[in-house]
Amino acid sequence: MIKKIFDWLKQPLGLIAVGIVFLAVFSAAAYGIYLTQQAPEQPVPEFPHQTHVAFGIQCLYCHPGASKGPAAGLPSQSKCWACHNQIQKTVDSAKLAPLKDAVINGESLEWIPVAIVPDFVQFNHRAHIAAGRNCEECHGDMSKVTIAENPQVMNMGWCLDCHIEAAGEDQEKLIKLSDCGTCHY
Amino acid sequence: MSEQFSRRDFLKLAGLGAATTAVLTGCGPASRYVTREPYQEMPEYNYVGQSTYYATTCRECAAGCGLVVRTYQGRAIKTEGNASHPLNLGKTCARGQATLHGLYNPDRVQGPSNGDWDAAIQLVADALKNNKPDEIAFLMGMAPDHLFDLVTDMANATGMNAPVRYGALGMFEARATLSKAAEALFGQAGLPFFDVGGAQVVLSFGANFLETWLSPVSYTRGFAGLREAKTKMRGKLIQFEARMSATGGKADEWIPLRPGTEALVALAIGRLAAEIRGGSMPRAFSSVDPLDVAARSGIKLEALEHIAEMVAHSSGVLAIPGGAALGQSNGQAVAEAVLALNAFADNLGKPGGVYLSALAPSQSDYSRPASAREMQEFVEKMASGAFKVLFVHGVNPVFELPASLGFKDALGSVEQVISFATFPDETAAEADFVFPDHHGLESWGYQRVVTGTSLPVLSGAQPVVSPYYNTRATADVLIAAAQIAGGAFAEALPYTDEVEFLQTKVSALMNEADGSFSALDAATFMAYFQQHGGWWKNTDSRLAPASSILNSNIDAAEAEFAGEGEFFLVPFVSPTLAEAGANKPWLQELPDPTTTVMWNTWVEINPETAHELGIESDDVVRVISEVGEVEAAVYLYPAIRPDTIAIPFGQGHTAYGRYAENRGANPANLLSVHFNASGDLAFAGMKVKVEKTGVKRPLSRLEGLGVYGGEGIELH
Amino acid sequence: MTTSSELNMPEIAMAEKEAGKWGMVIDQDICTGCQACVAACAMENNIAFVGEEDSGYGRAMHWIRIERFWEGEYPEVKMTNQQPMMCQQCGSAPCEPVCPAFATVHSMAESLNLQVYNRCVGTRYCANNCPYQVRAFNWRDYKRPEPLPNQLNPDVTVRRVGVMEKCTFCIQRIFKAQDQAKAEGREVMDGEFTTACAQACPASAIVFGRVDDPQSLVSQLKERSGGKTHLKELGTLPNVTYFNGG
Repeated sequence: MIKKIFDWLKQPLGLIAVGIVFLAVFSAAAYGIYLTQQAPEQPVPEFPHQTHVAFGIQCLYCHPGASKGPAAGLPSQSKCWACHNQIQKTVDSAKLAPLKDAVINGESLEWIPVAIVPDFVQFNHRAHIAAGRNCEECHGDMSKVTIAENPQVMNMGWCLDCHIEAAGEDQEKLIKLSDCGTCHY
Repeated sequence: MSEQFSRRDFLKLAGLGAATTAVLTGCGPASRYVTREPYQEMPEYNYVGQSTYYATTCRECAAGCGLVVRTYQGRAIKTEGNASHPLNLGKTCARGQATLHGLYNPDRVQGPSNGDWDAAIQLVADALKNNKPDEIAFLMGMAPDHLFDLVTDMANATGMNAPVRYGALGMFEARATLSKAAEALFGQAGLPFFDVGGAQVVLSFGANFLETWLSPVSYTRGFAGLREAKTKMRGKLIQFEARMSATGGKADEWIPLRPGTEALVALAIGRLAAEIRGGSMPRAFSSVDPLDVAARSGIKLEALEHIAEMVAHSSGVLAIPGGAALGQSNGQAVAEAVLALNAFADNLGKPGGVYLSALAPSQSDYSRPASAREMQEFVEKMASGAFKVLFVHGVNPVFELPASLGFKDALGSVEQVISFATFPDETAAEADFVFPDHHGLESWGYQRVVTGTSLPVLSGAQPVVSPYYNTRATADVLIAAAQIAGGAFAEALPYTDEVEFLQTKVSALMNEADGSFSALDAATFMAYFQQHGGWWKNTDSRLAPASSILNSNIDAAEAEFAGEGEFFLVPFVSPTLAEAGANKPWLQELPDPTTTVMWNTWVEINPETAHELGIESDDVVRVISEVGEVEAAVYLYPAIRPDTIAIPFGQGHTAYGRYAENRGANPANLLSVHFNASGDLAFAGMKVKVEKTGVKRPLSRLEGLGVYGGEGIELH
Repeated sequence: MTTSSELNMPEIAMAEKEAGKWGMVIDQDICTGCQACVAACAMENNIAFVGEEDSGYGRAMHWIRIERFWEGEYPEVKMTNQQPMMCQQCGSAPCEPVCPAFATVHSMAESLNLQVYNRCVGTRYCANNCPYQVRAFNWRDYKRPEPLPNQLNPDVTVRRVGVMEKCTFCIQRIFKAQDQAKAEGREVMDGEFTTACAQACPASAIVFGRVDDPQSLVSQLKERSGGKTHLKELGTLPNVTYFNGG
């Protein structure tokens, strides 16, 4: 039975069929991967990180969790609105209408996280800040983007490269920073 | 592998398949598409990504242990014991851990059954206003909590029936008997406190104090103190019971006496010990004949003498009556006889001895939950139509009372039954309306600690998360309804809400001396009360009045047994599920400590007896009493008398959510209505028949290889 | 990508030196078998419940279980002291060398046996080779109906079907305490944190701590006479010491 299938597949027609199927699958997968790399639609469509940075607002003002624990966190709506309702331009702005509506109606904005790690990775911001890393080393220069983008694919090789560099010649530190259990549990 | 399908081909094909699968599914982690909602307004005591911890009180049983609950972004994640709470000192039992499976249970009552809280409150107000006060009745759970105080205040002011507290745990603990016996011993009603931790030799007559009895976390700590040889010798535990309980499993000596002879055995030990010690024979022990007792109880005289030797010569002897020993026709005599041993050991009010439990702050005398006889009177009133409206809160009497008491039928004679149940239990199913209370972790409150610590403790409760469903605090509903009803009701509850009521009650403690904290104003006091998880006095307030029990006569007749059948029936409370744990999936999946059975009900039979009857493990048998029958699979239990069978209580729900419903059997259906002298149900005073059904249903259990065939844990 | 030899990575450890880092002492004489530890473990570590049928097949995923045995026959029958059994965090663990995916590896930093869920392909070799039978396999995607997932601990991965899991000595609590201590510029103190099972245990039968610190409570308890480790003859170097009282 299986031999017949293979024999058929080895014919020219079979090879073409295999090729077509392969191409279809490959292009669908490529398109799928392309889609995952697009910045997702956010509830406030053109949230301008660069403007906020340009006003001299520190990262930790809106994402204070980064220096305290695992999650950097998103600012509460009331925190956003506390500034924005004092600025006439933003109170009236159509672009900020989603925020204004959410605050008035007591609804939640649903943000889509851009820089995330899979469920099986236990990432802790605090340790990285404490080790002297700056936000932009991983998240890129926010003064140049509107909606946050990932400057690199956050995979394990990328994590480990940095961990190993950070350990340098210190064997004990290397053991700790390359231990599976440091991130996976 | 066949000729046509070589290993090489297989690998090629498998490789192609794997590659395709990888390409199609490997487009990134599923969490790529999650969304995150920030707080609309950040609570000031919260911090992004940080856990917040709240002190509160565990409501899984009436003991009143302090909890500290870890919350994260508004969700309750984990319960731990409150390390500074005097009752449990940072520890919890399995039920306390699994309380989160109650909070986030998929089968909670999600809102008032009439759909609208304003209408619900109007309905309660009408019920209060349009009926005569003595036609209104409240049935509540065992815990003496703030809601009980609130309803009591209402009853005192309006002439409404005083609220009745009941719980199956109280029934199986025979609390009325313990209280009566304490009265016989000390001349004062109360719950005895047994200082297990300080004792050297503990004689337990059926007391399952390591399982669900009175205050299990506190007694377990006591047991650890008994065993640990830090400042004294390692203490011994001797357990007298017909079926080895989880507590009996820890005993150094387990003595399977014939059910009904506990009082005789206690007195015989007393007599033998008194003879060894010399001097005059206490009157309490004088009429008993040890040789006769040995024959009747099935304990060898040498064994009795050996124990009497220990009682006579050791210091720190402590005797505890409890469990099935008290739930018999002669239960009160058992309690008195066992307490007399303590008087003989001269341990009353001494470390390692018996005390009367400290009363909670602002409590003037002990108020115990209703005994079964009082519940019978209650049911009779319901059936006679004396109650026009019945409010039920914190208890599930349709399940927890023996079916033969007729509570379910009597509900039909009450015009209006309103349940405040958090879960859709059997009683809620029979009620006209269900106006759900919050879960314990969503509620305000306080609870008196009845026993288990030497200090008077008022344990504090506060919401650790905001209510998940459209539920409302029963106290708030009653206060609002009382305002609408007006008159004496409104005067009795002149509060805007539950929190104001609590503040009024709690701040009354401000002027008391020697408290765990003090404050100058009520608001600060209340804040501390929440922060610390309660308020307690720092002085040992256990009572130890003198006793004359040794000089009184104890009528130690053997217990009488109801029904015809060859087996004594020992119903016992499941140590992991207790009366209300069956709807929590992880409690169901905890193996029973003695049998390791999970998720079902079993009947324990001695292997020899089963062999004679031709019954094998996992055979379903029918157990028939004079009032009912239940079916369950057999567990061959090596540590039970051949003339006794035992069934755990806790399963057999007909409602109560997906994890509890239609699972196992309820032994309360076997119990007929017989009381002991204190009015407690003689639940262990039944004789039953056992019949084979010819059906086999394997019990899911941890021990042995997986019983369904397949893999399992082979205990090495 | 650089290779491990270039990076001077430590060799993968098949055997560990005798002294571990974290350890437990369990007093069976005061353990009452109440299951509080089992429930606490399940709540802390997001362990799925499997239901009646699957638990009947022996698929219940207890990371800690309490064993009890019968001795003798009625009426001289005796229940042996309860024995809480969890991953013994062996110094030389039989589960580790058999994993073809390197999902069961030894943590050099914490001296624990790790289970890396995202590497696990579900061969179950490790469970077969574990003499203590403390590993649990996700035979299905065990669902938690809404709103039960609200209770999940964000510090612990929720495992999926086909993945092996086991006791971690609450590694998330170890890291949290270490992180906290580091933030405050100090060392982790003995007793500052403990595992979920030890924290719940009403009898305080379980004590957890640093076994490489002679001053710690667990080290001192371990030094008492009468302690034993299970299946010592296999040379697994377990880090849980049992006392059977008396």
